[in-house]
Amino acid sequence: MASSSSASGSGSASAVTERRGIPGAQFVEDVQTYLTQSGLDVGSALAFLQERLQQYKVVEMKLLAQQRDLQAKIPDIEKCLDVVATLKAKKGTGEELIADFEVSEGIYSQARIEETDSVCLWLGANVMLEYSLEEATGLLQKNLDNARASLEVLIADLQFLRDQVTITQVTIARVYNWDVHQRRIQQAVATTAQD
Amino acid sequence: MAASGSWKSGSGSSMGLERMSVEQLKAVKEQADLEVNLLQDSLSNIRTATTRLEIASSALNDLSLRPQGNHILVPLTASLYVPATLHDSQHVLVDVGTGYFIEKTMPEGKDYCDRKINLLKSNFDQLVEVASKKKNVADEAGVILQAKLKQLASSS
Repeated sequence: MASSSSASGSGSASAVTERRGIPGAQFVEDVQTYLTQSGLDVGSALAFLQERLQQYKVVEMKLLAQQRDLQAKIPDIEKCLDVVATLKAKKGTGEELIADFEVSEGIYSQARIEETDSVCLWLGANVMLEYSLEEATGLLQKNLDNARASLEVLIADLQFLRDQVTITQVTIARVYNWDVHQRRIQQAVATTAQD
Repeated sequence: MAASGSWKSGSGSSMGLERMSVEQLKAVKEQADLEVNLLQDSLSNIRTATTRLEIASSALNDLSLRPQGNHILVPLTASLYVPATLHDSQHVLVDVGTGYFIEKTMPEGKDYCDRKINLLKSNFDQLVEVASKKKNVADEAGVILQAKLKQLASSS
């Protein structure tokens, strides 16, 4: 069976940690002690654990959505940096740039980009600002660094969350198995008593 | 399915459905509902594509009114724009799919968009017709199924 009463402690040895508002799951070493300490019966404990599992799943969905957004954002920022670098390189050469730009989805037209000292960056919320090439490079680089850092934190959060999901699922299985085991023992005792 | 061919024909559909068992009716209804959902998705996609092409057509119209050398802000990426001048206001590149781009004059570009819009609209009309027929079949099967279930309940 999943757990026997001989194991010491209820899992308090591994302290319940928290990461950025995500509560850590408690690893249950001994189901009996865990149920006694928490003051719950098997049904309530399973219901609580299932609810916690659902909460983890909801948080995971949100984090995955954020991760998708960041993974789409990073290449776009890199592309912007490349364009600004190209414009910087062309500056002072007197060479004009002919670019095909998207007029609408699937329709492209040609534009002549003469020497330019500034670019316009769309910041969102119907706001566009004009920056010099140096300022634009600085801002985009900062945004890129922030996005990469956020993505790293997000990946770590997801890893932590998946660990908590695994622990919770294992705990559910162990509590359930322990309950089945107890019922069998009671059944065996009852059968022996009848005999 | 005993009468699976007959319910598609229209006029004799209810007769075909009447003769079916409860299980067959359930299967017919499920199948019809599934097809209706698929058709609804297709209709939604066609509507979206038509809207996109209408926007493209109006953009071409707007572009054709601007003279060559007109000052514009060019989108080099989704969030980066640079001041530039219109190089060629008489020709456009049209993405025809699978990585192919064709250079067309403004009138040709507009004509291409209009033809695509008309094609999509005719497809849309055909699909609407098919979807309504399928929906009728599903509704009819549902009504007959309910009646049969009620009949079974009362007899037992």
